[in-house]
Amino acid sequence: MIRTLVMLCALALAAPAAALEVVTTTEGLASITRDLGGDAVHVEALSRGSQDPHFVDANPVLAVKLRRADLLVDVGLELEVGWLPPLVNQSRNPSIQPNAKGRLTVANAIHVMEAPTGPVDRSMGDLHPGGNPHFLSDPRRVDAIAVAISARLAQLDPKNAAKYEARLADFRRRLADARTRWEAKLAAVRGKPVITHHRTLTYFLDWTGLKRAGELEPKPGTPPPPSHVADLVGVVRAEGVRAILVESYYDLRPAETLAAHSGAKVVVIPGDVGADPAAKDWFSYEDLLVSRVAQVIGS
Amino acid sequence: MYAWLLAAAIAAAPTDPSPPSTQSSPQAGSQSAPQPTPQPAPQSPEDRAKLERDIARELGASPPSTQAPSAAPTPTPSVQADTTGGSPYARLLLMPDISAIGRAGLSYVSPITGQRSPRDLPFGEPGRVRPVFEELELGLQAVVDPYARADVFIGFGNDGVSVEEAYATWLNLPYDLQARGGKFFAPFGRVNPQHPHTWEFADRPLALTRLLGPDGIGGAGFDVSWLAPVSWFSEVRVSYQSVAPADPSGTGTRPAGFLRSSQFFDVGERTTVGVGASAALADEEPGLRNLVGGDVYVKRRLALTGAYLAFQGEALARRLAGVANGPDGWQWGMYAQAVLRPDLRHGYGVRFERAPSVFEGAGGGDFRTSGLFFYDLSEFQRLRFQAGWDRLPGGVNGFEAIAAMEFSIGAHGAHPF
Repeated sequence: MIRTLVMLCALALAAPAAALEVVTTTEGLASITRDLGGDAVHVEALSRGSQDPHFVDANPVLAVKLRRADLLVDVGLELEVGWLPPLVNQSRNPSIQPNAKGRLTVANAIHVMEAPTGPVDRSMGDLHPGGNPHFLSDPRRVDAIAVAISARLAQLDPKNAAKYEARLADFRRRLADARTRWEAKLAAVRGKPVITHHRTLTYFLDWTGLKRAGELEPKPGTPPPPSHVADLVGVVRAEGVRAILVESYYDLRPAETLAAHSGAKVVVIPGDVGADPAAKDWFSYEDLLVSRVAQVIGS
Repeated sequence: MYAWLLAAAIAAAPTDPSPPSTQSSPQAGSQSAPQPTPQPAPQSPEDRAKLERDIARELGASPPSTQAPSAAPTPTPSVQADTTGGSPYARLLLMPDISAIGRAGLSYVSPITGQRSPRDLPFGEPGRVRPVFEELELGLQAVVDPYARADVFIGFGNDGVSVEEAYATWLNLPYDLQARGGKFFAPFGRVNPQHPHTWEFADRPLALTRLLGPDGIGGAGFDVSWLAPVSWFSEVRVSYQSVAPADPSGTGTRPAGFLRSSQFFDVGERTTVGVGASAALADEEPGLRNLVGGDVYVKRRLALTGAYLAFQGEALARRLAGVANGPDGWQWGMYAQAVLRPDLRHGYGVRFERAPSVFEGAGGGDFRTSGLFFYDLSEFQRLRFQAGWDRLPGGVNGFEAIAAMEFSIGAHGAHPF
C-alpha cells in the first residue's frame, strides 16, 4: 500500500513525457498517425481535407509547424512537390530533410500503381512520373502504411514501442473488420463503370472492382474541353455509367454538364479526412466514401 | 528527475518472481542464439548533450551545437533486391533537377511614353508593335550533400548569357539559422527576390526598375537568416553583397548591406497576411545609397482548387548622397495590386503605380494603371494580356500593352510563398 502511494506520488511529481511531434502533409495521414500514436504523439496536418493536395500554398506559417517536428510524414510520388520542398527548406529542421530519420514518405511502403514504364513527357499531362499518389482511399494500402508509420514511431520513440505495437495491432484488427463490412456493402458495385474527375480513385477502383469508364480530365491536370465532355456523353450512354465521382475541391460544372446530357448522377465525394463534416477520421472518411458510392451505384 | 529515479527504483524493486522470458531459446548456452537488434536506451536531452560534450572533448573537437546537424540522413532509396549489372539509371539518379522557362511576347508602348518614361523589357521600341524575347531561364537544382543544397539559374537574354543566381543554402545550422552563399537577388521587398515567372503581372513594377535597377538589385555575397521562435513565421535576414552601382553609367560593383524582416500569419483557415520591412546601405564610391521599403501581401484562398484573391503592395524610397550622375536626396515609388483567380486556369488583376521620373526636373512622377488577364493553358504554359494607361510628367497620357507567353519544361523546384 505504502509502496503504491509512494509510486503514485512519484509519478505525479514527474514531468509528463513530451509527446512526439509529428507533422503530416494531409489530414488522412494525420488521422492514421493519431490513431497509431495515441497520447504519445501530437499530430498536425499541413493541408486541409477540403484542399486539393496538389495545390496547397507554400504558406510560410506552415514552415513554423515543421520547425520542431520530430517526424514529417508525406505521401510522396511528387504529390506535394509544388509546395512541400520550400517549407522544409524554410523550417530550419535538419531532421525532416529528405531521407533523414525524421522523414517518412509513405509511398515507399506500398505497391504503387500507374508507374510509367516507358518514356514520359508533359504531352501526357501533369502526370506523376513515380506513379499514382492517391492511395489513401484503399484500405489495403492503408494497412501497409500503418505498419510503416508505427515502425517509424517506435524507432524515434523506443520507450513507447510496445504501446505503438499494441495500437497497431488494434488498428489492423479494426481495419480488417471494417474492410469486411465495406466489401460486403460494395459487392453489388463490382464491375460497374464510373467516371471520375482526376485519377484520384485508381486504387479505390482497384480495390472495389469498379470499372473506370473515363475521366473528365482528358489528360491529368488538363481541363475538359467540350469535345471531351461530348465524347464522355457517348461513353456514359454506351456503358450505362450511373455515377460521376468528383472530389469537392474540383469545379463541379464539367461533371454537372456531363450529367445533364447523359443522365448519370454527380456524386460529390470527400477528397480526404475533414472534407466533409462526417469524415472526422480516416475510418469515417472511408465509411462515407463507400456509402456514397454504394448508394448511387449499388442500388 | 528525483521523482523519476524514485519511480524507477520502486519499479525495479523485487516483487514477484519474474516469469521466464518467452524469448529464451532452448538452445541457449549451447550455441549463440540470434540476438534482437539492440535498441538505444532512452536519453534525456540533458544526458544527450552531456554525452555529446564528452565525446567532443575526447575527440578534441569543438563542443557540438545545441541542434545537431542531421547526421542522420539514412538513405532508404527504393531498390530492387537483385539487379544484374546494377541500375541502368545510376547517373540519371544523380542528375540535378533541370528546367527551362522561356518568356516572350508582343508589346507596344506609345511614343510619348517611350520619350518621357522609357520602358525596359518586356517592352520594345516605342510606337511599334514588335515581338520581344525576354529571357530563357535555365535552372539547375539539387542537394549538394547532407549539409547543403544548391540552386543555379542562368539567364539567356538578348544581351547574352548571365548567371542570375547561383547559391548554396546551408540547412543544418543551429539556433534556427540558415545561410546562403553565392550570387542571388538581394532580400529587399517582395518582388525583388522573386523570379519573373512567379509574378502575377508581366513586368516588374516601375518603382522597382527606377529605384533598384532594371533587373532589380542583387549580386555576389552571403546572407544569414533567423527564424524567430514564435508561433507565426517571423524571419530576419541580413546580407552583404556586391551590387551594381546606382549610376547607370558606372562600372564594377559596390558593397551593400541589406536587412529584411518578414512576418506571415494566418487569419482564419483561408487567409494569410504577410508584412515586411527592408533597408539597405551601399557604398557608391563616392557617395552613399540608402534604400528603405515596406511591403504587404494578403491572400484569401477560395473554395476551388487554385482559386484565390490576393492584394499586394510595396512602397520604397531611395536616397543618393554625393553619387556621380545621380540626383541628391530622396526619391520614392510604390505599387498596389489586386488579383482574382476564380479557378486554377484564369484570373484578372489591376495595378496602380507611382515611380519617380527618370528625368531631373520633370516634376512629380510617372503614374501607371494596368489591367491584366491571364490564362494558364496548363501548369506549364501561361498567357498574359496586360494593358496600361500612363499619366506622364507634364500631364500627358500614354499607353502600353503586352501579350506575353511563358512556357516551362523540366523539373523546376517550387518557389516560396
